[in-house]
Amino acid sequence: MSEPAGWALVALAAMVTLASTARADAARGERVFQRCYACHSVVAGETKLPGPNLRHVLGRRAGTLSGFAFSPAMIAAGAGGLTWTRATLDAYLANPQAVVPGTEMGMPGGLPSPVDRQDVIDYLAEAARSSTTSPPSR
Amino acid sequence: MRDETSILTPTDHTPQCEQTRARRRLLCALVVALLLLPAAASAEVKIQAYALPSNGGYPHDVAVGADGIVWYTAQPSGQLGRLDPASGKVELVSLGSGAAPHGVIIGPDGAPWVTEGGTNAIVRVDPTTREVKRWPLPEARGYVNLNTLTFDKRGRVWFTGQNGVYGRLDPATAAMQVWDAPRGRGPYGITTTPDGAVYYASLAGSHIARVDLDTGAATVIEPPTKDQGARRVWSDSKGHIWVSEWNSGNVSCYDPAARTWKTWKLPGDHPRTYAVYVDAQDIVWLSDWGSNAIVRFDPSTEKFETFPSDRRGANVRQMLGRPGEVWAPESGADRLVVYRTR
Repeated sequence: MSEPAGWALVALAAMVTLASTARADAARGERVFQRCYACHSVVAGETKLPGPNLRHVLGRRAGTLSGFAFSPAMIAAGAGGLTWTRATLDAYLANPQAVVPGTEMGMPGGLPSPVDRQDVIDYLAEAARSSTTSPPSR
Repeated sequence: MRDETSILTPTDHTPQCEQTRARRRLLCALVVALLLLPAAASAEVKIQAYALPSNGGYPHDVAVGADGIVWYTAQPSGQLGRLDPASGKVELVSLGSGAAPHGVIIGPDGAPWVTEGGTNAIVRVDPTTREVKRWPLPEARGYVNLNTLTFDKRGRVWFTGQNGVYGRLDPATAAMQVWDAPRGRGPYGITTTPDGAVYYASLAGSHIARVDLDTGAATVIEPPTKDQGARRVWSDSKGHIWVSEWNSGNVSCYDPAARTWKTWKLPGDHPRTYAVYVDAQDIVWLSDWGSNAIVRFDPSTEKFETFPSDRRGANVRQMLGRPGEVWAPESGADRLVVYRTR
């Protein structure tokens, strides 16, 4: 085997590993999302829940999802420039009141585990790409 | 009091001279005033706030025992708090690694019972030894997001899980059953009526349900307002079910015997009714996040009275009391606030 071909194989193996790790994290994130499931959905069109639909939440300006009655605090945060990125979502999930004082999200302790937060963000990212996202398993 | 009441009762219909009538009207007015004075005094509310320690704050739910001791769930820190209102002293009881308790009630044994949402278990804390006893939900059920609990009259605990379940634990045998809620996710507040019936509210499902205590089957009962977001329920002394409607900002009342509803909108531009509790006098207490206030509703006059919090974003998520006291945990202000009515 030539050297370039060898490096290509190594790179391919790394990519496969990374891809499977991402899948595993998103799968674990689906379990973490059970803590959010009572109020939120990632299923397209599933609204009328206590919290906003989180499909495509990454990249969205806070408090702007059409049709959802956000709290004044969340609307003000969005007007002030808060957009949901991996970093801002991680900070919000770690301590909701610190990022959006007055938020109505009923999870005052947030998600204390950084791993849980990253996994659930992976799950949200994957849900946005999927056309057939189903509710999390029990 | 009995004598004064008898004076007001028009039992004498014999003709009287005008002077006698005038004296009688004056006497009646005096007696009415005397009768109203104690009522006005009892309507007065004294409010007192208790600050909580920073390592045991953000109170979610609260319960007060017959001894006056107050227990609250310190959800972010995974603890159960114990407040002695006489001294203001707060003691914190750890509920273990991963704990995030949601609901707390005082059981018939005088102990605080907790829906421990973090570790998916029903928990009892011994009020004397502080021993923590746990009844985990069946592993196969997965995480159910435990919410609130109530005892029936047979010593069994009924509980809700917001991910779409409700269940029953018999502490005497440790037997636990969990059922799928009829319309999936949403089961939230739960209450027992004086005759022992159990009802829960479904926030995401926008309904209440009555549970068959034997079979466990839940019968859905629809409030008149569509998509109202029934969050919590409480029974009055007649077994009427009072419902706090989060989405609509209403309070509604279901009469199980007549199968009828009454609904009232809370005051203000954008009420969001979170908690409901009915006191021993059948006065309805509510928390309104829209006005950041506790609201008192008298069903006999259909009048509301508002008590705004002196802290921004007090976020009262639940209320409970005992005769003469209504307790409100201000989750957003790290305080327990009591409304004393006598």
